[in-house]
Amino acid sequence: MTGGDGRAVVDEVRAILAAVTGQPELLGVGPETPLFGPGIGLDSLAGTLLLREVDARFGVDVAAEDLNLDALATVGTLAAFIGARADGS
Amino acid sequence: MIKCVVWDLDNTLLSGVYLEAAGEPPAADPAILAVAAELGRRGIIHALASKNPPEAAAYAAHATGLDFAATECGWGRKSDAVRRIVADLGLAADAVAFVDDDPYQRAEVSFALPEVLVLAPADMTDAVTWPEFSPAVVTAEARRRGEMYAQRRRRQQEAREFAGSRQDFLRYCSTKVTISPAEAGDLPRLHELAVRTHQFNSSGKAVSEEQLRLLIGSPAHRVVAVRLSDRFGDDGLVGAAVVDRGEPGTWTVTLLMMSCRAIGRGVIEALLGWLCRAASGGGADQIAVPCVIGARNVPLRLALAAAGLRAAEGEPAPSEAGGPERAAGGPGPQEAGAARRAVFRRPLAGPGAGPLPEPPGWVAAPAEP
Repeated sequence: MTGGDGRAVVDEVRAILAAVTGQPELLGVGPETPLFGPGIGLDSLAGTLLLREVDARFGVDVAAEDLNLDALATVGTLAAFIGARADGS
Repeated sequence: MIKCVVWDLDNTLLSGVYLEAAGEPPAADPAILAVAAELGRRGIIHALASKNPPEAAAYAAHATGLDFAATECGWGRKSDAVRRIVADLGLAADAVAFVDDDPYQRAEVSFALPEVLVLAPADMTDAVTWPEFSPAVVTAEARRRGEMYAQRRRRQQEAREFAGSRQDFLRYCSTKVTISPAEAGDLPRLHELAVRTHQFNSSGKAVSEEQLRLLIGSPAHRVVAVRLSDRFGDDGLVGAAVVDRGEPGTWTVTLLMMSCRAIGRGVIEALLGWLCRAASGGGADQIAVPCVIGARNVPLRLALAAAGLRAAEGEPAPSEAGGPERAAGGPGPQEAGAARRAVFRRPLAGPGAGPLPEPPGWVAAPAEP
């Protein structure tokens, strides 16, 4: 995966996050920002919408592949998880 | 079991066609209205899918007196309208019936959404006697379900018009979560939740009312009931947890469940935070949640992950040792044979435990355990 693709995926993850949480300021968060806990505070509603949108846009079913949802640690880990799989298909 | 009936308007709920009326639109069809009212008393909710202008929704509510949980009035495909209603209400398609007098619309919905039960208005007087429309338990929460969905629509309407962020809106809602020991009077509703919940259900199995009664009385177990209310209304009992304290040092949550109606309102987060603090206060050094893994309960896994619980890959989930079945002296009625399971755990003390999960700041937190 090239750096350009990686940035594009990060941008798209940020756009999805901003949409599902209704917080446009998330368009500007850094890749190290944790999704759970203080900060973004992803709850199960926003998380469900996020996973559904990731599956629809990239064809990556995070919940089916990642038991502990470790991919949702940060904006960057989710983008990397998507990038690794969307590339291979 | 059908949870929601999506009604057509023209020549179905109304005895005539809304737009063809010269003066006042036609009145409700009395036979269908009697059926709809009876279904409402059983806790089945109503929705509207009509090829009419948007103002037809208000007329339908006025003419029938029904609380519609969702309305779709427009000129698109009926199957798309039903699909949006299913998504909006967080239902599974097989929990939905669609009633339309037009055979073409029925065929279109049947073809696009084969799980949906598709019926003609003439079927409905008979259908009220079918098991699909006859829930075994009808609780106070169920009888008020239509009203609670109407509150939900008012909440969503205000949320769309609200000037601040979603967090600000939830704070404005004055959300209140109450957690208390379950009592015998809660049993019918607890059983109903055990049967009806899927997105937030850790066990994936039906638990009988008798099993729940034994758990409430068992000294080795703790059963807590979770209630929710806000400025728009009282949702009543929306969730529960069953804790087994049989293993020293560990609180094992053998059943964790919540109504999907409570999603996005801080309830599951408040409950998990409460369980961690209660377990810690009770001397446990870890909390464990055996959980079925499936496509339907991903929302619960998100809540577990957010609260810092993790499963070891490949750790076999002990088949309900110490769970409701043992307490009841036998296996559950719907023993899931090959369902994938895992045990999610979280340390409560020591290095790596980290701060215990907190409910969102906008929830009036339940009393400390």
